[in-house]
Amino acid sequence: MSAAFELRGLTAAVPGEKAAIRLVEDVSLHVHAGETLAVVGESGSGKTVTFTSALGLLPKPGRVIAGQALLEGVDLLTLGPEALRRMRGARIGMVFQDPLTGLNPVFRVGAQIAEVLRAHLPLSRQAARDRAVELLARVQIPDPARRVDDYPHQFSGGMRQRVLTAMAIALGPRVLIADEPTTALDVTVQAQVLDLLGDLRDADGMAMVLITHDLGVVARQADRVAVMYAGRVVETGTVAEVFAAPRHPYTIALFRSIPDIEAPPGTQLAPIAGSPPEPARRPAGCAFAPRCFAASEAAGCHATRPPLTGTGHAAACHRQGALEIAA
Amino acid sequence: MSATFEDIDAAAEAATRRRATLRRYARHPGFMIGAAGILLLLLVAILAPWIAPHSPTQTDLMNTLAPASSTYWLGTDQFGRCVASRLIHGAQVSLLVGFFVVLISLSAGTIIGAVAGYAGGWLERALVAVIDILLAFPSFLLALALVAARGNTLDSIILAVAIAYTPRVAAVMRSVVLTIRPRPFIEASRAIGLTPWTIVLRHVIPNALPPVIVVATVSAATAILAEAGLSFLGLGVQPPTPTWGNVIAEGQTAITTNPLISLSAGLCIAFTVVVLNLLGDGLRDTLDPQMRRNTGKLL
Repeated sequence: MSAAFELRGLTAAVPGEKAAIRLVEDVSLHVHAGETLAVVGESGSGKTVTFTSALGLLPKPGRVIAGQALLEGVDLLTLGPEALRRMRGARIGMVFQDPLTGLNPVFRVGAQIAEVLRAHLPLSRQAARDRAVELLARVQIPDPARRVDDYPHQFSGGMRQRVLTAMAIALGPRVLIADEPTTALDVTVQAQVLDLLGDLRDADGMAMVLITHDLGVVARQADRVAVMYAGRVVETGTVAEVFAAPRHPYTIALFRSIPDIEAPPGTQLAPIAGSPPEPARRPAGCAFAPRCFAASEAAGCHATRPPLTGTGHAAACHRQGALEIAA
Repeated sequence: MSATFEDIDAAAEAATRRRATLRRYARHPGFMIGAAGILLLLLVAILAPWIAPHSPTQTDLMNTLAPASSTYWLGTDQFGRCVASRLIHGAQVSLLVGFFVVLISLSAGTIIGAVAGYAGGWLERALVAVIDILLAFPSFLLALALVAARGNTLDSIILAVAIAYTPRVAAVMRSVVLTIRPRPFIEASRAIGLTPWTIVLRHVIPNALPPVIVVATVSAATAILAEAGLSFLGLGVQPPTPTWGNVIAEGQTAITTNPLISLSAGLCIAFTVVVLNLLGDGLRDTLDPQMRRNTGKLL
């Protein structure tokens, strides 16, 4: 079965002083209909850039220099601005990180939802408004017929994220990209929003990409996971495989750094030493090598960039064979 | 039913907010004086034919350069025309110029500035270059040249002054748009597939308007001043149509014997400019949440 959304070797860059600075490099991912792919990684690992560049939303002077972004077999990167605009919102929706500023403060929420519909469909004002009420009901906003005329500031953060979700799913897109949809929300509200996204995915058979840095969210929501580090995918597989037996030292270190509520008092957290390299100063070999507990000269960690190897559960590490034995 | 209580609460809340907004305006003395002054000028201009004691063009050759009296409140000019009546009718021209200059320069400047700020790239550089050239060019000189080229009718004066003021609005608009462009709801509008024009018209401009409205109010004052200046130089609306600039120019010949003519016309212009500026300051203080703390001071 072919993927609903697939990235092949996507590379995006901004012009640098000498050479182009690659923000994301050779990213290949896919997500099937009805499935959730979680993309995890720390800030600056290229999670958001990957998807904004696939949708042609990368801010200038950023540019995609290689790769394909296939939405049901159509390469978005070859489309002109107008054709791409028609795809956005209609066939592929995106929910952004910050619900508090994601809505225009000067318009009623109903008008903003109606705007999405009218941008893509020949609907009358009244018909669009009626659909907006239905959509608010779908994202479980109580009393939608009345709330449709409220302004964004009259909604709480969780409710605003629901409104933004309603806008993203308004036209029944095949793919929904949720970029850290719960980061700005309270923990209890996070669970509600995540459940809602899961329900919508199941009801419409959408493919969902969930960008997050919260491994708890991944375990709870996702079917498969792709771990990104320094602009590359370093490990990918089903959630069960990756959580049971992580293969890349970065993934292993991520799991070790999670606080354990069962640990005896006084136990120190195990952070990953150092910080990720800036895009302009990535080392020649494996980008994680300078921080890696398993890096070795013999394996060539500092000299050559490891390819993503393995079928299904894959990792980009020179030492993964040795690590498996060690683990 | 609970919804009913919520309805009442929401209605009460909205009413409270409206009252708070009104109170903010009412407590700003500058805004109130400015608004009252503009209202007064508007009433005078609209009711001019009824409140003026004489026709502005009727001559009384037996009473040229008469001093102020109960018949001629501010005396007469060298043709025996009632100065007070000419000033009352002159308010029409001044306000008309102010209104249309603001209407034209606000619409054109808003669109140009918003497009420049939102589009970025070569389009922004080109528009900014044009705006900067027009800003660097003395606007009064530009208006003079345009009037000389098109002839001095009221509409060409309005057009000339509007063209001179459009780049100011555009420059302010662009700088405000630059602060709005990176806001997440703009990115979200792009992600839902809105066209660039829809984004500019529906999302960028409404959020950028408050500071631009302030600039427009103050431009109305300078536009009225510019019209008076053109009229004074004989390049504005032609006599015998009464305008404040014409009255000053005609009063000039008699300034040693009857200074009241030019002086009263000058005071009319000064009054208009001051009230418009007070109104503009008041709007700035009340529209900008960060300035609200400073309300209550007159100057």
